[in-house]
Amino acid sequence: MFVSILRQGDFLIASIHTALDDTELLRFQEDLVTQIGTSRAQGIVIDVAALDVLDSFASSALRDLAQMARLRGAATVIVGIQPDVAFAIVRLGMELDIHTALGLEEGLAYLESVTSGNRAGGSALGALRGVDR
Amino acid sequence: MSAGREVIDQDARLDGSDGLAELTGLIRRVVAGRVDSREAVDDIVQETVARLLAASHRLDGRAVGPYAVVTARNLVASQWRRADTGMRHAHRLFDPRAAVAPDEALLEREEAEAIRSALDRLSPREREVLLAHEVHGRDTRSLADELHSTPGAVAAQLSRSRAKLRVEYLIELDREPPTGQCRPVLLSLSAGDKRRQSELDAGYHLLDCGYCAALSEPLFDRRAAAAPDEVRVAVEVDADIVVVRQRGRDLAMQAGFSAAEATMIATAVSEIARNIVRFARRGEVTVTVATDGDATGVTVVARDAGPGIPDIERALEPGFTTYGGRGLGLPGSRRLMDEFVIVSDVGRGTTVTMTKWRR
Amino acid sequence: MAEPELDDESELDDVERAAPRDDHRLLPALVAHLREHRTELREEWERRIETTHLLQAMTPHEVGSETTSVYDNYVEVLETGSVDALQRYARDLSERIIPRGVETHEVVGIVLLLRDVLARSLFLKYHDDFDVLNRVLDAYEPAANRIANTVAVSFVEERERIIRQQQDAIRELSTPVLQVRERLLILPIIGVLDSQRATQLTDQLLRGIRLNRARVVVIDITGVPDIDTTVANHIVETVDASRLMGASVIITGLSPEIARTLVTIGVDLSKMNTIGDLQGGIEEAERQLGFHVTRSEDS
Ligand SMILES: [Zn+2]
Repeated sequence: MFVSILRQGDFLIASIHTALDDTELLRFQEDLVTQIGTSRAQGIVIDVAALDVLDSFASSALRDLAQMARLRGAATVIVGIQPDVAFAIVRLGMELDIHTALGLEEGLAYLESVTSGNRAGGSALGALRGVDR
Repeated sequence: MSAGREVIDQDARLDGSDGLAELTGLIRRVVAGRVDSREAVDDIVQETVARLLAASHRLDGRAVGPYAVVTARNLVASQWRRADTGMRHAHRLFDPRAAVAPDEALLEREEAEAIRSALDRLSPREREVLLAHEVHGRDTRSLADELHSTPGAVAAQLSRSRAKLRVEYLIELDREPPTGQCRPVLLSLSAGDKRRQSELDAGYHLLDCGYCAALSEPLFDRRAAAAPDEVRVAVEVDADIVVVRQRGRDLAMQAGFSAAEATMIATAVSEIARNIVRFARRGEVTVTVATDGDATGVTVVARDAGPGIPDIERALEPGFTTYGGRGLGLPGSRRLMDEFVIVSDVGRGTTVTMTKWRR
Repeated sequence: MAEPELDDESELDDVERAAPRDDHRLLPALVAHLREHRTELREEWERRIETTHLLQAMTPHEVGSETTSVYDNYVEVLETGSVDALQRYARDLSERIIPRGVETHEVVGIVLLLRDVLARSLFLKYHDDFDVLNRVLDAYEPAANRIANTVAVSFVEERERIIRQQQDAIRELSTPVLQVRERLLILPIIGVLDSQRATQLTDQLLRGIRLNRARVVVIDITGVPDIDTTVANHIVETVDASRLMGASVIITGLSPEIARTLVTIGVDLSKMNTIGDLQGGIEEAERQLGFHVTRSEDS
């Protein structure tokens, strides 16, 4: 599987594990938006640490994904953009317009901060910490 | 010959569509002066332009015009040969040329002999490294460690050795060059070393020397040029974009680029490969190690026979888009690379040539 | 050719004195000759090195021990036809003498001197029989040139490698990324920023962010006298790339001149977080880090 989508409390954690071509990226976009609807997630973390290129198409796909998620009531944060990739995105002239965070933990912390008050369930970050440490 | 002199004075360059239009006019004059049939002229002009574009990123600006002229002449000559044979065999029901296939074993022996002699012309060190890489499959990194050098320097050396081998091989199959200038000129063309071409005035020599004019063509032959320091990927579907950018990155790393620069190159490759898939449906991307004097770089050429771009200026403006993308493909790639040339002929196709130099 | 300085009247056995008639025996005979006269030939070579003022950065003792090794390696190449050992030795030697300031021409010079000293000795040994002498020199010359070439190439390559290493080290030093507290990095830039250094700096900063899991970065450019538009653009790109990685950037020490450059190239300074001095920048960073525990700094 190239992409995994896990549920973590009120949030979805989507990890891209390998380079995706355009078609696969669009399918991922569609799958994730569908899952936001069915799971009523309040936020999504998209982990792109495995991507070694984020070109204009991939950036657009992520941006569109974030907008679709917002229409469905979920906040989006992209995590794990590699240093070289970050610089290439900027040089390319892309403005990602999505909140970004260093890693999964920071991404979840961001989601908790922006969705606090809306959420019924427990802390996803707490749950993650419980698993990790 | 006089037609060629004109070119040099014009200092023909392929810097944009204007340069190409000028050159196309020149090529047309050269061909039309030798061939009667209007269709044949069109065919030869097109083929010349195609070959010119394929070789242009390896040519010094002043050598582009002369190369166009000698290529056109070569094509005219081969056209005559074909027409001649065609006429003589026109009455036959089958083409006998296929039946009298040359003795393949003999051909192979001759070629092997030529390669051996050509190898002998390399210095022991060049030969050693080249063989270790090509025959024994050693990668540039391990060779660099052993030679106390860098992968980039080794890649550049391999590229030079290969260029030399190509020249010596062709000379071996032909005859010794008529002038002392020939070998260095052919070598500079083969290596795509623009600075050296300019120093040697390779363009002038090509026009004056029939020997080098004839050899310049196989020198740029795609098969002869294909080498491990060259990536060539046919681009047709989405997945090809991923393949070509990954291989482009590998080549850039092999040529000694930092990971950050290799990522920029891979991103630019991704953008122009996507343009092929979107607009032309089918095309080809090549990535090669480029040298210019002491500088090492990577050159990316994306070629398609698609509809072409009517307004290049506009296509290079950020935000200009025709397929609902973000219009960053071309202008973004230009920013990611150091050199960027786009030549497009509406109805014929587009060629993007871009180079990034190592710092 | 030259005055016979060499003592070639030493006792030689009959086999040695007999001119080798078969070509395949030429090199072995030659090698045997060079081994036998090792001491005086080496001393002659050292004398020449001294009179031509080569290797003056080295003591006579050092020169003596290196010439012995070079001589033995030299003869070994003639004997085995393989330059591997010589190459290794030459690199090793280069590594030792390059820091002493020995120049390329000196290294090439001493090897060429040895070539000539040995050639002269062969000349004296075989000068009676011109045919044999020719064949001996035909066998000797290409091998000797190959040796000279090997040594020179090894030296030049080693030199380039060392220079590259030093440049890398200098670059490392000139753009240190400091972690002042957890999740806070400071990048003080001092001196003239050229394009290459700016690239280096970005690379280090972005990697530093990931390595230290930084949330906030303070870039202090108090020490930068002037920047051109290329570098200004680069700084803007660095800020944007840092944000993409999830770190916010505060720029301190922005001089009016540099601020003007930034505005000229169309940078919206209100979008950049600029604070007067480094101290203020660090305080702002700490404030941001404090806020981050409960809420996001931007929305
Ligand atoms: Zn010639």
